[in-house]
Amino acid sequence: MSRIHYLTVPAILAAVPAYAATYHTVESAQKACFPDADKFVSADVALTKDQKKIIEKSSGSRMRGNVQKVWKVSTSGEAAGWFIIDEVIGKHEYITYALALNEDGSVKSVEILEYREHYGSEIQRADWRLQFAGKTKVSPLELTDDIKNISGATLSCRHITEGVKRILVLHDLLLKNN
Amino acid sequence: MLGTFVEITTTGSNKEQVQRSADEAFDRIQEIHNLMSVHDPESELSQVNIHALHREVIVSDDTFTVLERGLELARETDGAFDFTVAPTLARWGLLPEHLDRTGCSGNWTNVKLLPSRRVRFTRPLAIDVGGIAKGYAVDVAIETLRRAGATSAIVNAGGDLRVFGREPCVIHLRHATDIHSLPHSIELSNAALATSSPGVTECQWRDQTVSHLVNPNSRRAVTGNISVTVRAKECWLADALTKVVFNAPALAEKLMNKHHAEAYVFSA
Repeated sequence: MSRIHYLTVPAILAAVPAYAATYHTVESAQKACFPDADKFVSADVALTKDQKKIIEKSSGSRMRGNVQKVWKVSTSGEAAGWFIIDEVIGKHEYITYALALNEDGSVKSVEILEYREHYGSEIQRADWRLQFAGKTKVSPLELTDDIKNISGATLSCRHITEGVKRILVLHDLLLKNN
Repeated sequence: MLGTFVEITTTGSNKEQVQRSADEAFDRIQEIHNLMSVHDPESELSQVNIHALHREVIVSDDTFTVLERGLELARETDGAFDFTVAPTLARWGLLPEHLDRTGCSGNWTNVKLLPSRRVRFTRPLAIDVGGIAKGYAVDVAIETLRRAGATSAIVNAGGDLRVFGREPCVIHLRHATDIHSLPHSIELSNAALATSSPGVTECQWRDQTVSHLVNPNSRRAVTGNISVTVRAKECWLADALTKVVFNAPALAEKLMNKHHAEAYVFSA
């Protein structure tokens, strides 16, 4: 039998069906990030044009829309941090993810909610997302040096890394002292 | 690293040991990248390219091993695999200019490996081990992880990958640049994969279409909508064999048998 296999790529279809994977709903992501928490209070932040500009400039990442979805988290009456939903561009489509912050403003965890590209969904993997744990506004958060990239998911990795940077700046500016 | 993104996934008996072994593997990959980068004029390989025509150059174990293997394969394939095509690629703007050798007449037969890890060129030429160096780095990473006590691992350097462990991995192969191609799934167990395709670098140079894949005999570029993935025991070999499938398809079958390898050719 031949050890060379010829695989013909079929002609491209006129309409390629959209691919999307939902890994978490908001609720399941909240539970995954803060398993012991008993209260998530909605505290969305509406940004002014100036605030948005400062945050985007400081982090190098564009924010989608003007409202950041934020929940203040508490466990048995004690403040436990923040749960924030954000969107970044993968290559062509948006990725919805959640960032959990500890009460001190450092990163607790990252969860992917929805991934809409054909490929690159490796970012959903726990081991890649674990790299963000403990990061703060002053962490370098540079791709490849600091956050190990995933081959084939390069753009998603970069954009999520930048999104996390941006939210840390937002937290420092608008959430920390409230 | 290695001009791409490297991912290491590994399991072991405890978290610290696993993290340590992964760090060690990344360090080794960085080391190999630093030794053999053709883009870095300070790399060991660059020193060879600059000086080996005029004097013997002593190199590291890593570099010597890669050169040895490259020459062995060149011998086996009668030059269908030949890492001295760098000057042609430099002329096309795909590699740094300093690798161009006007009036270059050398090929793999003019690269001499001498005792005590010394290298000498007998004609003006330049070497780019890019393809097999990446695969070699993956192999070294796997060995590092294994020696450090990992029970399983996947090392993936931009599609050049190798796995070890009890459980086989399902890998989806796909045409390297055609994102709409339907994946072909294979089970990979203690083996390696490497993929090559002209599409990754195809561009125009003067009135020709060129790519990073050069046929060493004709010194013309391999172009077109083809992507080749090879499965072999070791990643450096899978890497090198992809070039043989492109450059000498008739010979490729024989080599696949000899090395117990398989090739998957994706074409439109």
